[in-house]
Amino acid sequence: MKGTITKIAVVILLLVASSCRNSGTRQGGLNFPVADSVPSGEAEKLSDEALADIVQNIASPVEIAAILQSMQVPFSAGYLAPTNEADRLTTNFQKAVMLGIYGADLGYLNMYEKTGNSIDVLSTIKRLADGLRVGQYFDFETLKRLSLSKSNLDSLLFLSVNSYNHIDNFLRENNRGSISALMIAGVWVEGQYLATQVAMGHNDEILRDRIGEQKIILGDLLMLLRPYRTSSQEYQSLYDMMESISSKYADVRVSYRLGEPETLEEDGRLVMVQHEESIVEMSDGQLAAIAEMSKEVRNKLISGL
Amino acid sequence: MKSRFFILSLVLIILPLVAVGQPAAEDLVSGCVLSAGENTTYLKDFRIQLPKMAPNGAAPVYKANMYLMKNMKYRFSVCNAPESNGELKVTIYDQGKELISSFNSSSGKKFDTVDFICNKTGLYTIWYEFIDGEQGSGVGVVCMIK
Repeated sequence: MKGTITKIAVVILLLVASSCRNSGTRQGGLNFPVADSVPSGEAEKLSDEALADIVQNIASPVEIAAILQSMQVPFSAGYLAPTNEADRLTTNFQKAVMLGIYGADLGYLNMYEKTGNSIDVLSTIKRLADGLRVGQYFDFETLKRLSLSKSNLDSLLFLSVNSYNHIDNFLRENNRGSISALMIAGVWVEGQYLATQVAMGHNDEILRDRIGEQKIILGDLLMLLRPYRTSSQEYQSLYDMMESISSKYADVRVSYRLGEPETLEEDGRLVMVQHEESIVEMSDGQLAAIAEMSKEVRNKLISGL
Repeated sequence: MKSRFFILSLVLIILPLVAVGQPAAEDLVSGCVLSAGENTTYLKDFRIQLPKMAPNGAAPVYKANMYLMKNMKYRFSVCNAPESNGELKVTIYDQGKELISSFNSSSGKKFDTVDFICNKTGLYTIWYEFIDGEQGSGVGVVCMIK
């Protein structure tokens, strides 16, 4: 009798602790530990503070898409990663990288309001997230409903980005930082691919600046991946590929022009205009080399390395 | 018998905390995203829970580092949980230099949102704390302005 009550209590505790609500839908399921590619003890661990320093908003699935949209660049389905081979992904490494890549694609689709086209990407993301035991943070049914109805784009954008934030937080808080790092790398690579592909056909200063500034962010992304690189051939290959992109940035110059900020009030809001400025110096040749290498890396990743 | 009582007590204590706590936080985030206004796209939220400042101590602070990009406009919104004693404020720092805060300690003026028109890509530090070091809970939401 005592044993039965103990078991019931433990099961209830596990169910409650592993439950997660995502915008109205509760999807149950216990979270069993997943044998990720990197056992926690093997990787040289980053301190929590250092990790937090690196990862917040290192790669947003919607910011690049917002720039492309503001440039009035037409949507192109040709930029999207194919989803037809996602089922053959077997390792957590592949699933995590592709989860990031499809996340960036989802942001691109949603920002362009191509929500009807996003169901396939959503289904693929759901399968990958389930495979990584983080599917409970991805409210597929609500996202699908919002995508099909096309009625509330803001909710759709919020829920999709929020799902990724939840997954990222969960992974980091549960000693699965290596998987989080891969997902972030995937988002970054796909965002970089989208930006560079568009930049090769559209000469836009803001987009060029954004690509050039990735030199700063890529340095931190490499720092995020570095502790895991010796843990498996897959991690080492990814790290080497990211370094190969970084090498193309070697002669890109980012400098700063000082300026005092200006603060004003507008419609009851406090607004600060920053006058200090970052300035990117990047030649057409450098941009082309970065674009080519980014494309090569992204295509290797979507083909399973 | 004692262990049976202990486990059941644990379940009864933890269950409502977990089951109710998560939806409340989610609702607070959703409400805060809505309060950021139209023409914004949600990027990130931070859930803040801080204790009261210790006597003669510094006010507890939640710090987050975030990349902000040139040519983007960001809106930082703060929302307090209903049970919060303190009022949440957000301050943005660039390499240790304060750029903007939702609370002006000299005038006492508070803002629920601050907009930051970014001209320099880099890693910024976002401080969330409760005014006067009060105990409190709330959320900070970062959106980009379209």
